[in-house]
Amino acid sequence: MSIETLFATLEQAAEKPLESARAWKQAHGTRVVGSFPMHFPGELAHAAGALPVILQENHDPITVGHGMIYPFYCGYTRSVVDQVCKGDYDFLDAIMFGDHCVQVLGAADVVRAKLPGTRVHFYQLISSMSDPWSLGRARETFLNLKEGLEEMIGHTIDDEAIRASIKLFNRNRQLLRELYDLRRSGAAHISAKQMQLAVKSSMVMDKAAHNALLETLIGEIEARAATAPAGVRLYLSGHFCQAPKVGVLDMIESCGAIVVDDDLYHGQRFISTDVEEAGDPLDALAGWYLQRNLKVPCPTRVDQNADWDGYLLDAMKRSNAQGMVVLMAKFCEPHMYYYPLIKKAFEQRNVPHLLIETEHELTALEGLRTRVETFVEVVKRRSSTRRAAA
Amino acid sequence: MSIIIEPFAAPQKKANRLKTSSLNNKLVNSYWSDVFGAREQGRKVCWYEGVAINPLMQAADMAWVHGEAWSALLAARNGEASSQAAAENGAYMKELCSYARTSIGCSLVANNRSGEASGASFSDALNTGTLAENCPAPDMLISAYPYCSTGQQWDEALFRLFGKKVPIFNISVPWVWGNKKDAVYLGGSEFKEATAYMVRQLKECIKFIEEQTGKPYNWDRLYEIMAYTKKAGQLRMEAMELCRVKPAPASFFDWTTSLAPVNFVPGGPEIVDYFEQVKAEIQERIALGVGAVPNEKYRLFWDGIMNWNKIGWLANKFAGWDASMVAGRYTHMGFWHEYESINAKDPLEGMAINYLVCPINLSAPLMIEEIIKLCRYYEIDGVVLHAARTCRAFSNPQYLIAEAVGKRLGLPVAMFEGDMVDESFYKDEIVNSRVEAMLEAIESRKRMRAA
Repeated sequence: MSIETLFATLEQAAEKPLESARAWKQAHGTRVVGSFPMHFPGELAHAAGALPVILQENHDPITVGHGMIYPFYCGYTRSVVDQVCKGDYDFLDAIMFGDHCVQVLGAADVVRAKLPGTRVHFYQLISSMSDPWSLGRARETFLNLKEGLEEMIGHTIDDEAIRASIKLFNRNRQLLRELYDLRRSGAAHISAKQMQLAVKSSMVMDKAAHNALLETLIGEIEARAATAPAGVRLYLSGHFCQAPKVGVLDMIESCGAIVVDDDLYHGQRFISTDVEEAGDPLDALAGWYLQRNLKVPCPTRVDQNADWDGYLLDAMKRSNAQGMVVLMAKFCEPHMYYYPLIKKAFEQRNVPHLLIETEHELTALEGLRTRVETFVEVVKRRSSTRRAAA
Repeated sequence: MSIIIEPFAAPQKKANRLKTSSLNNKLVNSYWSDVFGAREQGRKVCWYEGVAINPLMQAADMAWVHGEAWSALLAARNGEASSQAAAENGAYMKELCSYARTSIGCSLVANNRSGEASGASFSDALNTGTLAENCPAPDMLISAYPYCSTGQQWDEALFRLFGKKVPIFNISVPWVWGNKKDAVYLGGSEFKEATAYMVRQLKECIKFIEEQTGKPYNWDRLYEIMAYTKKAGQLRMEAMELCRVKPAPASFFDWTTSLAPVNFVPGGPEIVDYFEQVKAEIQERIALGVGAVPNEKYRLFWDGIMNWNKIGWLANKFAGWDASMVAGRYTHMGFWHEYESINAKDPLEGMAINYLVCPINLSAPLMIEEIIKLCRYYEIDGVVLHAARTCRAFSNPQYLIAEAVGKRLGLPVAMFEGDMVDESFYKDEIVNSRVEAMLEAIESRKRMRAA
């Protein structure tokens, strides 16, 4: 299979996630468990014999959803409400989630009201990460989730099944990280869009099937001699729940830039941390939950041991990026709280960054293009000044 | 021939506000004076957000600054603009919770003056200018935000703004969602577990307070404070329930101005005395047939948080429509409203229960049932839903509430946008047209029923 065909297969799942999940359900007779971003352990749902699917913002214009949610909510939340109002989630066997973003909680209430026959369950994850009881509380929450899944399937989930799922999911994360390594090192030219398709499809596809595709893809990429891509090296940061619109990614890369790394949820944030494969699986998942915030700090958590601004500066150095584009989903409060610290840290270190507010409706792309083109020029100039000074 | 449309007449009538409100102002002023002078008195200062955990601090002889109350005070006294501008200049965007923006803005103003983001140097900037600069810097932060993720992040933002030098304690308040079939208001296995989890955290919080003050915790003082708090809560609920009569002797706007004594004013005989006087005034009004509006024709329910810049304005506006805002989610479903659950000699569980069932922390099905009970009890004709633009916690379930009161009680609604302390989101003409449409609907239903 060619690289292009492989990406086309991933794109099919990534861009039509509900169609893909419905087809899988019909073909394999498995239950489908939807979840909201960002910290849901799909491993448990998988060990329960279900297909875990992270519900995505779709590309449809928001219509009937306007009748259930105010317009001053992020695109992800509004899109989820719109989808449930249109009946798109009717085929799901359950929706389970654990994150507490106030906007997502608003959507969750609407989702439950619109799906009275569906198991819509909330298992609230502790979001204060550095308390002495954070780990224990996270484990208790995952135990409750496991019991909820067991109630759904009518039997217990044994530890071996969870460990097998953990192994499978770890393999998936490792393969995706290999793709990142290939891009970062310049050994392969993987566009921002392609990288998103690889990660986003992982959120909605069966993991074994996804692993098989990734193994073939990596083999093909390694076999193909790549010329190092040229352009200003940019780092993308932000978007904790929804995938940035592909049009925005393509636009950025059409302005003389290449994206070399990111901390996007549909990116490094999703794949940063593996789960311990030995020992008690619930301990392992609780540990994973706390660890991943240290690997890639998340502004929806409060954690005295993690600094997102410092992480980003280091991450830029590691990936040899010259500038950072911050993609902030409009109305995203966690991002709005943390952005001033990032701005200050980057300005103090004289590292260029550009803030772009994104919306569900992709209406201002050409206006954004002018800003990105200008930013790319600024980055080029600063880089050449720095080289001259060195 | 041209058709002349009479513009809507500006409301001429004024709300008949409770006279005892002036006593509330005294309590509030005395409390803030005490806070502003806390540092001179050698008392530790705790900044906190969310539920009313102030009795925990009061028992330890600390001073406490409730972030929302501070922002609301500034807005009510037209002193919020400079802080909000400072926050925006510091890259905190306008769509962020305006309570948080105001509080963060105050910190930025003072930090900029002192030149160093630390609790110690912040105090150097005190008492030098506007009201916004009077608040003492924190010696510690406690976050206890129900439901709303943005509250916890606000405290974390302050923690980082003060250079991570001020100790912080986080109480994680579980949302009352209800996965299990036994979930009911105040009951069910999950609620029981959530209450126990809250009690564990409150005990840890008290240990944290002991560490910060360096003194053993004064449990007897807490019992005493909670006895007063419980009594004040009871008197307030009884006084509000008396407003079932027609005309209602006090309105939602009166109850919003009476929140301080059950939210952040010190627990003591003064708050009990205050609500005794409020209750007496209400009983007197009932005896005389005096209403909160001069000519009560419509009885309304207010859903959503208060617009603190506009309490008097809105009270008069609705009085002008002969509409009495008899009850509201904000005032009637929170602030020690479940006083019966408090055992003053062992108060942590009762405190936890009140925190868990505060007006934003119930998921929609449980919340809607409570709202419907209130609408029935107070014989409500229509529901006003104030969508606070930057308080999604309050705005979240409003379409579901509107749908439920329409379908189950046949009540028309008026939804409009505003905000708690950023008045730029309030659009008066939209309020006029939406409320007038609702009142028309109420009239037409009355006519249909009469026919």
